[in-house]
Amino acid sequence: MKEYKSTNREAGVDEEDELTVKQIIDGFEKMDQWNPVSTPNLQWFQQNIELERKRIRRKQWKDLITFIFVAASVLSVVIAIVYRQPILFLYFQFVGIILLPFTFIKTRKRVSKE
Amino acid sequence: MDEKDLIQKAKKGDTLALSKLLQQNYSFLVKYLMKVTLHPQIAEDLTQETMMKCIEKIQLYNGESKFSSWLITIATNLYIDQQRRKKREKSWQEQALRKMKWQAGNRNEEWADVLDVLAKINEEIRMPIVLKHYYGYSYKEIGEMMGIAEGTVKSRVSNGLKSIRKELSENERV
Repeated sequence: MKEYKSTNREAGVDEEDELTVKQIIDGFEKMDQWNPVSTPNLQWFQQNIELERKRIRRKQWKDLITFIFVAASVLSVVIAIVYRQPILFLYFQFVGIILLPFTFIKTRKRVSKE
Repeated sequence: MDEKDLIQKAKKGDTLALSKLLQQNYSFLVKYLMKVTLHPQIAEDLTQETMMKCIEKIQLYNGESKFSSWLITIATNLYIDQQRRKKREKSWQEQALRKMKWQAGNRNEEWADVLDVLAKINEEIRMPIVLKHYYGYSYKEIGEMMGIAEGTVKSRVSNGLKSIRKELSENERV
């Protein structure tokens, strides 16, 4: 905790606010006393890190496999359409090009809303 | 070994260095989350989640802010997300405060009414007040931590303090 008086002066806090801030700080300090925190030993942290890293690696593999599977499925459907009905493929491409500007407009709107 | 060395090693995948970093900041993080959540159990749970996130994202830590500030940023955002996802019932917090009151009573210490008042105000106001007036972060830093404008932080802190003062004076009159 930084020295509150100096930060308060810097923040332009008036005397009334300063008193409220002091009450808040006192309250929090009491709360810290009533709820002492015991820090686990180093081994506990090491075990948790190893477990978390394993979980992340598993998740990354799962994501990669899902991505490859979806990509292969989409690609095989596209190849099948190109070979069997090239007109249909061109039709989808054409519709895609027409719809492209609309997706940009929608995305922009969403960002500006946020 | 100082913090910078530990960070460098942790970024390279050194488990021991990362363990030491997390251990050094554990109590600081729990205490921060306790002030923000006013619930020791939720604070402990969020600390665990923050540490998991830190293990995953340590490569992205650029060293611009202190490591503890980076952890506070992660913890703050996790708490905001959690609150948005499952608006916790106020009764949870009331239970925790009751328990604390009981602990205070056991120690023959006077209860701090300001904690009741702080529990009543929205966490999006409580957080900047804690960060500004307990930890001494600047409005700009708080804005970056919470992902909001500096002006918004200023008005939240100022209005928050006013409403706390009003509530406290009403309590005193009663």
